[in-house]
Amino acid sequence: MLFNSLIFIFFLPIVFFIYWFIVNKNIKGQNFFLIIASYFFYGWWDWRFLGLIFFSSIIDYFIGKRISEVDHRKSRNILLILSLVSNLGTLFLFKYYNFFVENFVSLFTSMGIELEGSTLQVILPIGISFYTFQTLSYTIDIYRKEIKPTKDLITFLAFVSFFPQLVAGPIERAGNLIPQFLKKRTFTYHDGAEGARLILWGFFKKVVIADNCAFFVNNIFDNYPDQSGSTLLLGVILFAFQVYGDFSGYSDIAIGTAKLFGIKLMENFKFPYFSTSITEFWRRWHISLSTWLRDYLYTPIVIQLRAWGMMGIIVSTILSFTIIGFWHGANWVYIVFGLFHGIIISYEILTTKQRKRWKKKVNKRLYFVLSLGLTMGFYLFTLILFRSNTLTDAIGYTQHLIDRSLFTLPMIIAPKYRMIYTLLLIIVFILLEWFNRNKDHVLDVANLPTFKRWGVYSLFILLIIVFGRFNNNDFIYFQF
Amino acid sequence: MEMTEVLAQINEIAKDVFDDENIVLAENTTANDVEDWDSITHVQLLFSVEKQFGIKFTSSEIAKFKNIGEIIACILAK
Repeated sequence: MLFNSLIFIFFLPIVFFIYWFIVNKNIKGQNFFLIIASYFFYGWWDWRFLGLIFFSSIIDYFIGKRISEVDHRKSRNILLILSLVSNLGTLFLFKYYNFFVENFVSLFTSMGIELEGSTLQVILPIGISFYTFQTLSYTIDIYRKEIKPTKDLITFLAFVSFFPQLVAGPIERAGNLIPQFLKKRTFTYHDGAEGARLILWGFFKKVVIADNCAFFVNNIFDNYPDQSGSTLLLGVILFAFQVYGDFSGYSDIAIGTAKLFGIKLMENFKFPYFSTSITEFWRRWHISLSTWLRDYLYTPIVIQLRAWGMMGIIVSTILSFTIIGFWHGANWVYIVFGLFHGIIISYEILTTKQRKRWKKKVNKRLYFVLSLGLTMGFYLFTLILFRSNTLTDAIGYTQHLIDRSLFTLPMIIAPKYRMIYTLLLIIVFILLEWFNRNKDHVLDVANLPTFKRWGVYSLFILLIIVFGRFNNNDFIYFQF
Repeated sequence: MEMTEVLAQINEIAKDVFDDENIVLAENTTANDVEDWDSITHVQLLFSVEKQFGIKFTSSEIAKFKNIGEIIACILAK
């Protein structure tokens, strides 16, 4: 079920009502009801993969429990490996198997050896990359003795399947979420209103900003050989706002919806487009993924490679970011996307001290604008990869972009009025983000007087009705 | 070795890692108190401390340190 679908408009109030007024007598009942609601939410998309979520949950529930019971180091290691193999194995089978088979076959073909490789007819179960990471972190945290396993299977199933964050995160840690499911939740007006504001803002970003951009982005990327350099530049800029509006919009709706149920999810975006380095960008973009990989991938690798000194840090960084890229999908474009980010972050690590010195010498505002521009420029360049279907397309797009026609006016794509209001809305969007960058989110208006507050709400509802696209556009991150 | 002595030596390492001559660490200093203390500089600091004192932290120790005091306690216990 999509957040931006008609069914969700019925689903949410019904679940909300039952949760707070019918099953509110005991915690277990509420959690059990959340599992049913969440499995229904997911099953609406494809009920066949419900078994996979259940399987992934059960495995980690029992392995987690067992790890805490045994003291013997070797047994603990075996249990951890079992969890890693079953989680990553499932992910591999559904998401990466075909990619590896096809690449092996073509590798051998290029060496003159004909291989017969059979690929699987599988579709990617939605959300698999998110919930396998979530269950994995549970087992690893128990292994590291950072948390204790939960003895309550109902709570654990609710933690894994909690519908606001099931299909595209934030990738929660058991240490944050499970304790919230174990205590009594009370509805407060403050949380309810804050949740509703986040949902409103998330919808604005998704159906107004992202989905309006999507129309032009698809048009430009699908016909890139016929476009001028400036149109291609505009295409990738529009894509930047599409992907940001889409994913951060989704996250805001998820965090807001969870708040309606008295659950606090982690922050996933912190105005990433105002970053002055790629390092900073990853601290503000998809925070739940970047911190996940920092804790479970980067840190363990860098500790192993500590004897190499700086070289170890660089290798760990590049490797971690390449894997972040690959996490997005079984396609070379994502691998190269991640690799480029890893290389730039390594450059930033190696020049930290030097850049600090430059910063002191140059005018502060100038340094800020330059850093912002360079960061954005690099980011846009890598977004071409992110949006392209193949590496060949990405190279082609870039070649057509770096052309004399870059210095012409971009082509206006029909319908003209739609292009104009999309660009105007983006400008309004950037300004709103800029002037509210020190707040939690743009619609953080709890302190305004009632009259003004409702003025703001009405305005955004109106903007959504007038400019929103309601053709059930999927969220981009659902495919990852 | 005395606690204050260890702290002073770590302070010298921190000046170099965070590239800040004015840095003053205390036992209750955490990563949030130092501007450039992130996941990269964190391991740089700890690896330099390991070299300086000729010790090795375990992976779980590195992941669990909450403040400078805990690092010092760990060094003194080795």
